[in-house]
Amino acid sequence: MTKQQANWSPYDNNGGSCVAIAGADYCVIAADTRMSTGYNILTREYSKICKLADKCVMASSGFQADVRALQKQLAARHLIYQHQHNKQMSCPAMAQLLSNTLYYKRFFPYYSFNVLGGLDNEGKGCVLTYDAVGSYEKVGYSSQGSGSTLIMPFLDNQLKSPSPLLLPAQDAVTPLVEAEAIDLVKTVFASASERDIYTGDKLELVIINAAGIRREYMELRKD
Amino acid sequence: MSIFEYNGSALVAMVGKNCFVIASDRRLGVQLQTIATDFQRISKIHDRLFLGLSGLATDAQTLYQRLVFRHKLYQLREERDMKPETFANLVSAILYEKRFGPYFCQPVIAGLGDEDKPFICTMDSIGAKELAKDFVVAGTASESLYGACESMFKENMEPEELFETVSQALLASVDGDCLSGWGGHVYVVTPTEVKERILKGRMD
Repeated sequence: MTKQQANWSPYDNNGGSCVAIAGADYCVIAADTRMSTGYNILTREYSKICKLADKCVMASSGFQADVRALQKQLAARHLIYQHQHNKQMSCPAMAQLLSNTLYYKRFFPYYSFNVLGGLDNEGKGCVLTYDAVGSYEKVGYSSQGSGSTLIMPFLDNQLKSPSPLLLPAQDAVTPLVEAEAIDLVKTVFASASERDIYTGDKLELVIINAAGIRREYMELRKD
Repeated sequence: MSIFEYNGSALVAMVGKNCFVIASDRRLGVQLQTIATDFQRISKIHDRLFLGLSGLATDAQTLYQRLVFRHKLYQLREERDMKPETFANLVSAILYEKRFGPYFCQPVIAGLGDEDKPFICTMDSIGAKELAKDFVVAGTASESLYGACESMFKENMEPEELFETVSQALLASVDGDCLSGWGGHVYVVTPTEVKERILKGRMD
C-alpha cells in the first residue's frame, strides 16, 4: 500500500497579467480585470491594482486571497510609518518593505507575483519587479502573471532595457513619452488576450505623474 | 524536465502576400549543455514546401527521413511534387500511427499551394492539425513566440517586411528561453525564389 499523498492545496491561481513601464516623469501600471479559477471565470471586474502610497501603486497576479492579505499588511505598515514619520512612504522605501514582507513568509509564501510602480524621490518613474518570496530588481519595465511569457519578449524588443551590470550605470527608464507607453501597454494586452485564456475582459491602467494618479479602462476580448 | 524540452527548439512560420517565411533557432542542447550552435531544424521537401521539426532531435531526424522517403515514392508514382495540404495530411497520418508510443516532435509545415497561395500548419505530437491564416509556432519558446507574433503580425506583408517581422519576433522570443537561441535560420519563400538567411542574436 503506497503512502497517502495530500490532495488539498492551500493555493489556487486566479490568473491574469500585469505590466508596468517607467518613464522619465511618469509610470504606467496596468492589469487585466479577469479573475478565474481553473477553466472558469469568477468575475470579469476584479481590480488587481492597489494604491499603497501617494506615488506608489502595486499590481499583483497569482492567488488573489494571498494578494489581498499582502495588500492589507502593507497598508497597515504604511499607516504606522505615517504615524511615526509624519509623511508618506516613498516608492523605494515601499519597495524594500514589500520585499521584506514577502521574505518574512519564505517557508509558506504569499502566492503573489508583484509589480510595483511609482515615482521615486526625484519624480522619475520607477518600476520594481518581484518574485513570490521577495527577490526584487529595479527595471525600466516588467510583466508578471499568466500572460507574462507572451508579453515580456515583445516589451524587450520595443524597450530594450540596458543591463544593470553596465558601468557607468545607465538609466533604467524608457525613452517613450507617456502617450506612447500607454499605447504600447494597450497593444500588448490586446495581443495577450488573444492567446492567453486567463487574460481578458477589461484592462485597467493607472498612470502616475507629477500631476497625480489617473485611471483609464479599455475593453478586451471576453472569451 | 519534459522530453519535449530535452534538446530545446524554437520554430515559427508566418504568411505574407503570396509568400511565407519559416524560421528556427540554431541551438542543439542536451538539457542545459549546448552541443551545437548550427543545428538545422528546417528541411526542404521540395522547392515550394518546407518542414520544420521541433522537440526531441532524434525523433525529428527519424521523422524527417521517413517523410522524405514517402515523398520520393510519391514523386515516382505521381511524377509531381506533393501539395502542402497533402503533405500535412501525410505527416498527420504518420504521427497518429504511433498514437500510443509517439514521436516527441511538433512539426511546422509551410508551403506554396495552388496559385501560389501560402499554406502553413502545425500539429501536436500525435498529428492533430492546426491550420492558421496568420502564423504558427512550436518549440520550447512557443509561448513567447505567440506573444511576439501576435503583437507584430500584419496581413499581406511583402517578403522583405515579413522577413524583418519574423526575425524580430524570433530573436525577441528565444532571448527569454534558455533552451533555444544561438542565432536564427530564416527562409523567405516566394513563387520565384527561396532566400535563406542566418541571423546573429544573443549567443547564450
